[in-house]
Parts: sequence; structure tokens; C-alpha cells
Amino acid sequence: MSEGGPYKRTTRVLLSRQTAVRRDFDCPPLFLVYFLLLISLVIPNLCAQVPVSGQIETMDDALQQLAERVSAIPNMRGPLRMQFFQDAAFAAETGKDWQETFRKDLEKVQINVTEDASANLLRVGLAETPTELMLSASVRVNEKEEARFVALPRAMFHGANLPVVPVRIEKQLVFQSADRILDAAAFGDGSDSGLLLLAFRGTELSAIRTDRSGTSKQFASLGAAGARTARDLRGEIAATGSEAQVTLPGKNCRVRWGTADDVKCGGAKVTWRAPVVLTPKCDGGGWKLTADGSDWSSPDLLQVVPDWAGRKSSAALMSDFPGPILSIAAAEVPSAASVVTRNLRTGNYEVYRVTLACGN
Amino acid sequence: MKCIELRWLAAISAVAVPFVALLLAPGRVLATKHPRYGGTLRVELHVASLPLDPREWKPGSSATADSERLAGLVYDRLVTLDEYGRFQPALATEWSHDVPGKNWQFKIRSGVKFSDGSALAAKDVVAALLPLLPAGLTISSGENTIAIQAQRPAPDLLEQLASGRYFVYRAQPGGGLTGTGPFVVAETIPAAQAEGSPSVLKPARVKLRANEECWAGRPFVDAIDLMLGDPALRQILNLQVGRADLIDIPPDLVRKARQENLRAWSSPPDTLLALRFEEAQAAAGNAQLREALDLALDRETMANVLLQRQALPATGLLPQWLSGYAFLFGGGMNLERAKQLRADLPVNTAGGSEPLRMRMDAVGDLMKLLGERVAVNARQANLTVQLASHATGGGGAGPQAAGLHLFVWHYDSLSPRAELQEMARHLHAEQGTEFESNDPERLFAEEQQLLETRRVLPLLVLPEYVGIAGNVRNWSVAPNGEWRLADVWLETEQGASSDGEAGGGRGVHP
Repeated sequence: MSEGGPYKRTTRVLLSRQTAVRRDFDCPPLFLVYFLLLISLVIPNLCAQVPVSGQIETMDDALQQLAERVSAIPNMRGPLRMQFFQDAAFAAETGKDWQETFRKDLEKVQINVTEDASANLLRVGLAETPTELMLSASVRVNEKEEARFVALPRAMFHGANLPVVPVRIEKQLVFQSADRILDAAAFGDGSDSGLLLLAFRGTELSAIRTDRSGTSKQFASLGAAGARTARDLRGEIAATGSEAQVTLPGKNCRVRWGTADDVKCGGAKVTWRAPVVLTPKCDGGGWKLTADGSDWSSPDLLQVVPDWAGRKSSAALMSDFPGPILSIAAAEVPSAASVVTRNLRTGNYEVYRVTLACGN
Repeated sequence: MKCIELRWLAAISAVAVPFVALLLAPGRVLATKHPRYGGTLRVELHVASLPLDPREWKPGSSATADSERLAGLVYDRLVTLDEYGRFQPALATEWSHDVPGKNWQFKIRSGVKFSDGSALAAKDVVAALLPLLPAGLTISSGENTIAIQAQRPAPDLLEQLASGRYFVYRAQPGGGLTGTGPFVVAETIPAAQAEGSPSVLKPARVKLRANEECWAGRPFVDAIDLMLGDPALRQILNLQVGRADLIDIPPDLVRKARQENLRAWSSPPDTLLALRFEEAQAAAGNAQLREALDLALDRETMANVLLQRQALPATGLLPQWLSGYAFLFGGGMNLERAKQLRADLPVNTAGGSEPLRMRMDAVGDLMKLLGERVAVNARQANLTVQLASHATGGGGAGPQAAGLHLFVWHYDSLSPRAELQEMARHLHAEQGTEFESNDPERLFAEEQQLLETRRVLPLLVLPEYVGIAGNVRNWSVAPNGEWRLADVWLETEQGASSDGEAGGGRGVHP
């Protein structure tokens, strides 16, 4: 077992230059990085980095840099009339925000913007290519089209501003990762609480324990389980006291936290968990959580239906998820569950805490 | 009156209550469904043959595009690109490069087997990629690594390897190729005359079976039956009556398919239709003539009327989704200016006695329609363009030599630089041009320069259209256009899945 790791909790994924270079090992300590950097000047291939234009880490940085680059075009005279182009894919995410920000950035670099139809036209675009977001600005100067570009890795942009919309079913994003998550289960109470995750770390299936803040604290490789790779590899994780119980096709594993590499697996007739039934505080009856989850290319609906056939009020509650629902597990309290989904917009695997709230 | 209302209410309840009950009944309610293993996916394509040897593929051609789309079923790549712009490991599990991007190293996944049971080794990767890599790149193998050295910085190497022809295969002594992908070619049946009806041609077929040992997991379906060369209308009929699960639909039939309530999926534009001037006719060398024709072309009408909004006017050589800047190109139609330019040309240049002859890549309804439209637009600017018969073909000298070529180009690289390089090389748009930089500003300037010569006039970009049967689940396509059929599963009437139990249906569950 090891501590720390690449997992991040938050609603924002900051992707580094490793976006384009995947490394399946953990980062070395800082002094080692400097040392390797020095070595890499002499011996190639020691350090994997992808050159990224400037130090752009946010959309605002990119817009500011583009404005500065436009202002540096020789012989360009203002004021400028702006015309925006935006790929359809961004409409919902960006709205007019980036256009307004760019307008202000231009003003900061002393370029006047006007609505006057006779003014020189500045065409500004935001486009998505397979790997990058491309900001462009083009203006005609002395009968020549001068174009300036600023590109930033696509995944960086997509991670921001994930919507977590509360509906009648309360839903909270509690964890996300670019690595595949098979199952998640909440454990504990108060300060000794967190999430158990059954997930891949690179190519290795692992049990992961996070603390209450979502920071990954412990990892246990399940290589010993010898789970055969499958396109729909199924697995479940559950907390049993201070241990984790992992169920894989044909195998049960027990992970004892706190002891190095204490993972024991054995062949067994497995019993998969039954559908999760939640009991909200104000309602004695149970409500079953169901989802389709069978089409990985479509967003899913979480349905909450009465578990008691004789119940008179039989309306079902529904909640949208940003991708297929991959697993549902009961949480530590009877009114909550953990739901794993794959966000089709970002590609990240996400864990939501779903709680049945009373009333509307 | 009240009695009637109550009767209606009762009737509606009689229908609705069982339906709602069915939805909510405990036996029907599932925690989460799981995909089903088994079944044969029936795919019909209009292409007549499907060469699966990447060494034989010609960049930009229609045949290559179809082959590339499906070769991923049999072979793997070193890396893939996901929909979110992230490179994912495939046969390479790790990779690194030096700061300039000239020296690359890839660690090869262990435990991978070819479909004949032999293990994949680093030297196999080298043997496969060596004949495919472009000039300027060299490849060598270590124990479980390969190294690629580039003469010039190649920061887009991952984009290149994740698309195009860069598959890993092993050539067998008999001449065939074997791969590590999710399917294995089980049988190839060439097209043949139907028994008893010599005039009827039975389409060629390729049968693929699931690779049980695939490192990425066995595919959901047991087999894929590819039928090649069936006419498009018959394919649509077969999809309608349940004899096919997936078909490719030509753009001019998409509207019909949608009217028939068929499920049609479309890709980002992956095909360029364009005109190229060829030296076989002296008039093609006249820059003023080229500009006049360019300004006379009504691309909007071609896209919106001829192709019923199933295409987009092309402004650049690269599509917007690949370059990110195509919207900056294109001045639009200007017939008055075209006429002025024409008026300054000698009467015989593209005139009635010496028309500009146009040849086409393939004979088809769409190409013919488009060619005729080009001729009509040219006539509006007092230029005469004549469609050469297909047989006259090439741009060689002779009485019927053509100075204009209506061609099709299929994009196949995820690197805009590499795509532009291939286009320039194969279209001879600009002799000797080397596109060395991935910097979008440089690339934009170089493409702009190519367009300004007007030796190539982009017309339209077309998406790929696929008709999908209702029982096909998990349909998805990689950013490079490859069909991810290994993830597709077939829903049956008995129930979608094997809820609660791993696997189900026919086939072996991993």
C-alpha cells in the first residue's frame, strides 16, 4: 500500500502538460525533478514533457495572451469591429463569457472596440480540435490577413465548471478521476469517514481509500486477484469494519488497511449486491434506486421508485446524470447512496453522493 | 356527457396503468443493466473491397478510408486518442520524449498475443511500422521498448500514431496479416455471380470472429458479418426489415433514410470534395482563369440544395474540426468579379471551342451532380467547363486531356500538419513544400498560401453517415473515425441484459 497519488477531489480537473504524455508512475520528489531536469538537458528521453505555448493554465490566460498578441500586430490600427465564431460544442459551456472577457482584454491593451460597420473587422474564434482548444483572431492589415493563435489542451478546459444541479434527489459530486472507477462506497462517520473506491490506477486494478476530503490515502493493488480484462469488468467494494471487501467475477478479496499489501483473494461463488433501497428520514417506506447503465454512449437517468408494491403514492423521481450510471452502492446512512458515472462530456469517472431529501 | 368522459378515463387507465405497472414492477426494476455478450453484428458497406493491409493503403482514397475505419477491429495501435483530447495507452503503456520532440520512447505492453497465439514483441512493432512511417522518422527496438527518432521535432507524433495507417500487425509467411485486435478475420468470400442468375453479382463478404484472448477484453458480439458492395438503396431496405444492423448511407440518401425513421448517425466532416487544376490543359495554368472559376462557384447551393444540407461549404483544405481555423478562409462567391476576370481573358481560354475539360475521381450520382453544378456556375461567368467521360481519366496529354479534376479526399490523420503534408504531396498542389511546424500560425499561413494559388479549390466537406438498427447499443466512433465495434452489443427482445450476473447470452464471458 502506498500513500498519496494522482487522484484529485474537487469539481475541477487541472491537467498539466502530462495531458499528452501518460506516465504510469508517480512523480518523484521535487529535488529529484530538478536533478532529472538537469540530466535531461544532457541525455534525452529522461523526462516526458509536451511543449505548451506559454504558461497558459486557464481560458482567461489564453484570452489575455491573444489580446496581447493582437495588439502586437505591426501597423494595425483601431478601432476594431469584432465578429465572433464559436464551435457549437461550446455553446452551453461558455456562453458569451469568453467574448466579453476578450473584449475587456483588448481594451486593457489599448485597442478600441466599436460597433461601427466601417471599422476594421477583427474575426475572433474559439474552436475545438481533437487535442486542443484553439483561440484565433484575424484582422486585415495592408491587404494581408494577419492571424494570431493561442492553443491550450482541450481536457483542461473541459474539466472546469462541472454542473452539479440539485434536484429533488440531492446529488453531490464527491470524487472524480480520469482513471476508470468500477465502484464506490462511503464508509465511517464524522472524522473517520471517506470513500472506498474500486478503480484502476493506470493499468492496475486497485482498492483505494480516501479520507473525508476525498484525498486518496491508501492504495492496495488487486493484481493478486488476477481479474481478467473485460470490456465490462464488474466489481464491487464494500466496507466491513476496518477492512474492504472486494467482489470480482468468481473471486472475493479482503483488503486490510494499515498493513502493507495485505490483500487476500479466493475463488468463491460471488453474490452481487442487491438493488439499493433508500429510506429517507421522513418516510418509513423504501425507495429503490435504478438506472439503465447499459449504453455507455448515452447519459443516464437515476430513477427512484417505491420499493413497496402496495404503496399508494407511486410517483418515480428521476435525476439526470452526465453519463451512464455504472454502479450504485448504499452509503453509511439509510437515506444516501454512492453512484458512479462516466461523465460523457469530460471523460472522467465521477462519484456522486445521492441523498433522498424530504419534501420538494 | 359525464358518462362519456368517465368511459374515456377508464379506457385510458386500462392502457396506462399496466404500462406504468410494468415500468415500476419489482421484477422489471434493475439496479443497473449490463451489456450482453453474443450475437452477430451484420454490417453492410457500399465499398466493394476492404483491403486490410495498411502497407497498400493510398492516402486520401475512399477505399483507404473504409479500410482504416474497420482495421481497428483486427489490429491495434500504440496509442489512441479519446473523445476528450487525451491520449490513452494501447499497445504502448508508457511513452516519453525529449524536449524538442525528436527522440521518442514507447514501452510495449506485456502479455499481448497475436490472434495466432504468438506473443507480441517490440521487434514486431518495429517490423510493422517501419514501412509505414513517413520519411524522416526511424524506428528501432529494445527489449520491451521501441524508439522513434525524428530528424526534425515531431511534437505531433502521438496524433500521427493514433490515426491513419499506423497499425501494428505481423506479416505471415502465407502473405496474410495477423493482429492483436478484438476480432480475427475468419473468412473472406469474394464477390461472385449468383447461381442461376449470371447477371446478378453476389456481394463480397468478410466474416470476423471475436478474439477470445484480446488484451483489452473479448468484444461483446461473437462475430461481425461484413457485406461489401451492396447498393445503397438495398442497404437501407435491409436495415428497415432487420436484415442488417449497421449500414453506411451516402449523403444524398440521408434525408430518405430519416424520412423512413431510420436511426442515422453522422460524423464530423471527414471527406473533402474539391477541384484541382492540372497541367494537361494549358488554360489550367492561367491564374486569372482559376480565380474567375473560384469566384463563380456557388458552394452554398451545392451544400444546401444539391446535398440537402447534408454537407458544408468548404473554405479551407483542412476541416474546421481538425485545424480550428478553417472559418477564417473563404471570401465567398462574387459572380460580377468572376465575369470581369473572364472578360480580360482570351475568348478561347475556357471558351466554347476550347472548353476546360473536367474529369472525376469516380462515377456516381453525387459526383455527376456536383460536376454539372460546377459547369453551370462556370457558365454563369462565361466560362465553359465540359465533363470528360470517366474513361478518359488522367491528366495526360491528348485530345481529351482534362485540365480540371473533381476529386475526393478522405482525412485520416489527427495531426493537421501531417494531413496537410499528405494532401500537398498527393495533389501536387505545391511541389516540394514541407510542412515542418505544428505551430497553428505557421500552418495557417502555409495553407493560406496554398489556397491563394487556387490550384486546388475546396468545394464541400461531407460527414460520414451510418444507419444503425434499434437493437445496437454502445455505438461509438473514435476521433479518428474508427468504428468501435468491439464495444457494441446487441439487445434482444428477451431483455437487455443479464442483470445481476456477469455476462449472459451466447459467447464466453471473461
